[in-house]
Amino acid sequence: MTSPIKPPKGNWWDQPVNRRESIWLGLGVGWALVLFGWMSAFTRIGDQNPIGETYRVTEDELREKVQAFEEAAEQRDDGAYVPAGDDVYVVGYQFDWDGLPVVLETGQEYDFHLGSYDVQHGFSIRPEHAYSQQINLHVTPGKEWIIPMEFDEPGTYHVLCNEFCGEGHRGMHNTIIVEEGDDGE
Amino acid sequence: MASNLDVFGWFDNDYDEDGFRTCSVTGFDVHQSVENHVKLYGVTAVVFMLIGGIFALTVATTRWEYIGLLEAGDYYRHLSMHAWSLLIFWIIFMEIAILYVGGPMVLGRKLPIEWAAKLGYVVMVAGAIIIYYTIWTVTGNPVEDNAPLLTAYIPLEINPLFYVGAIVFVLGVTVAALPFFLALWYEKRENPGQTLPLVTFGAFVAGIIAVQSILGGLVAFSGGLAYQLGLAPWFDAGMYRQWFWIIGHGTQQINLVAMITVWYLFTHVIGGAEVVSEKVSRTAFILYLFFIVMGAAHHLMVDPGLSAGWRIWNTSYAFYGATFASLVHAFTIPAGLEAGRRKRGKGGGLFGWLTSAPWKNPMFSTSIFAIILFGFLGGITGVMMGQLQLNMSWHNTFATVGHFHSTVVLGTTVTFMGVVYFVIKTMFQREFVSPKLASFQPYLYCSAMAITALMMMYVGILYGIPRRTSEVVRNIPGTDFSIIGAAPLFHVFGIFALIAIAGGALFVLLAVGSLLFGKRIEPGEDDSLVPDGGLEMATDPEDPVHAYEMRGTFILCLIFLGVFVVAYVLNWFLLTQLWSIGV
Repeated sequence: MTSPIKPPKGNWWDQPVNRRESIWLGLGVGWALVLFGWMSAFTRIGDQNPIGETYRVTEDELREKVQAFEEAAEQRDDGAYVPAGDDVYVVGYQFDWDGLPVVLETGQEYDFHLGSYDVQHGFSIRPEHAYSQQINLHVTPGKEWIIPMEFDEPGTYHVLCNEFCGEGHRGMHNTIIVEEGDDGE
Repeated sequence: MASNLDVFGWFDNDYDEDGFRTCSVTGFDVHQSVENHVKLYGVTAVVFMLIGGIFALTVATTRWEYIGLLEAGDYYRHLSMHAWSLLIFWIIFMEIAILYVGGPMVLGRKLPIEWAAKLGYVVMVAGAIIIYYTIWTVTGNPVEDNAPLLTAYIPLEINPLFYVGAIVFVLGVTVAALPFFLALWYEKRENPGQTLPLVTFGAFVAGIIAVQSILGGLVAFSGGLAYQLGLAPWFDAGMYRQWFWIIGHGTQQINLVAMITVWYLFTHVIGGAEVVSEKVSRTAFILYLFFIVMGAAHHLMVDPGLSAGWRIWNTSYAFYGATFASLVHAFTIPAGLEAGRRKRGKGGGLFGWLTSAPWKNPMFSTSIFAIILFGFLGGITGVMMGQLQLNMSWHNTFATVGHFHSTVVLGTTVTFMGVVYFVIKTMFQREFVSPKLASFQPYLYCSAMAITALMMMYVGILYGIPRRTSEVVRNIPGTDFSIIGAAPLFHVFGIFALIAIAGGALFVLLAVGSLLFGKRIEPGEDDSLVPDGGLEMATDPEDPVHAYEMRGTFILCLIFLGVFVVAYVLNWFLLTQLWSIGV
């Protein structure tokens, strides 16, 4: 009747379920709803969501956009771009990030335009002062993904590629320099 | 079927004139056509484990940059070999064997269309060889010929032959699975209205999920092939990713269901467990069937172009339908063991049923360790990284690698090691060359591998160490920056990875050694595996198992849920420390 290797006999569907088993089933359903509910609610109340508009884009269009961004930006002596507006372009290619290094300010919301000229890459970023504060977003060619970000701590943020993109993948590193903004505290 | 080619005497069990024998452990009516193919697939799987294990050594000692064994180009080739050998070949050859056990062997049937089992085998091996060839001949020129790793993501330039190999392999698996489905078809036709045994039912669910995965895989690999040949420029990275993960993650769900099926089988056959509720366990399997393939979406959580609603719905398996199913098995399997052992007078107090269990039996300990480690390390982290927002801190970090080494290695591979031990004992009918080492091996392997996987998770989450790179901790070419802070944890990782690999090597030595030199067990000689009271107790309608106590299991499950909640809160705490991201 209750062997897993024999056909169960009789009306096995109506066999009673142990009370502790029933309690566990209730806990399981409850936990599953918490998991779902929190994830869903956080898209409305939370500050960290991998959500933003995506546009189809060809490699040439994207190159033009990044070029326009770089031309409009002021370039410092160290080669870092100071963007003219709120738009920032970070586009991966074998084996670096176009649009970087860039200088940003705390307290200002930037629209990050993430994309790729060639193959899939991983946008992986962490500040030098706290490695555990790291996030990772996937970039694919043909798509321009616009994710807003607002930094609240100044520092050097290191961008690595974390999707295999060829033998030079491991050297695909660049930086975002975040400086104290005018209205920063 | 004693053949001149059978120099090791691996296929010469005694069968009656119809080709059947009765297994002294399980009581199965085993037909030689089933048994011989289980052996064939099982032994082949161990060969792939050996190959993959050798590459585990080179890959681990490269990521442990203190040693830094391989150059980048070699590393990616070795990593591809490691992934395909262990994640695909070892596991899927085992799974075909498990389908044959769960279907025709449990049902006491012949293997229908034996030719398909043989043809499928040949095609699978051919696919594996093509894949190995294309990996090993990679030149590493980034615009011509890159290592495929597991995923072979387009538009990265990868040898088109690789996709051919993948298609061939997948088709081979399909052919090899046919006899299983046909056996079930015959069984249902001959016994209309009779319920399948739970183990067969579980294997059937695994089989259906395999069909879903294979269909996705055929689209992905055919599309990838067409893209690489320039025939389908519209097949883009996003499409490939979505189709690929139907097989990429789907195969892991086959592993999950096959492994759970084995847990039900082994806890019963070796530990005396019973099914505490057919209704609940079967419903959980059905939930997998409906919801688990959606879980593939959690690979696309931080991909562009997918709406938040689509991602949340799918990654939550529609309100966590499949996670709930796993929570159910997390209770019913240990509860079956607890109640079954209490029924057999083996369960005093809260945990007497556990402390009195046959811990020295590697077939038992592998399943129990797998249940615990899969649940605590693999299952919990899987749900974490499958949350839309938390995925930002997990995606493509080394923590992901830690997660799937907890599921696929600590769960599936450990369980399947137990299956190999079981096949050696009950089908090859060989004693282990060293019973002591066989008892010890799961302890060595599981403990070391668990620490290895934990270290992977720590460095991934706390330091953002990326996966799929040969250098990042001690040196990043072209910059002074490196994540040297993670170096101490990598020492722990490296040392325990080496111990785990030694544990894996011990497994291969024991398996091969026992097959070659193990003393033959004569029929009826070995009943040490059968739990006290015999398996017949489980079929006594006057003594229903659901009436026995399950309080030990209940406490264990509450502890599990507690750890789950704490891990969940911690992950969210870390995430909310970040700057503001997203709309």
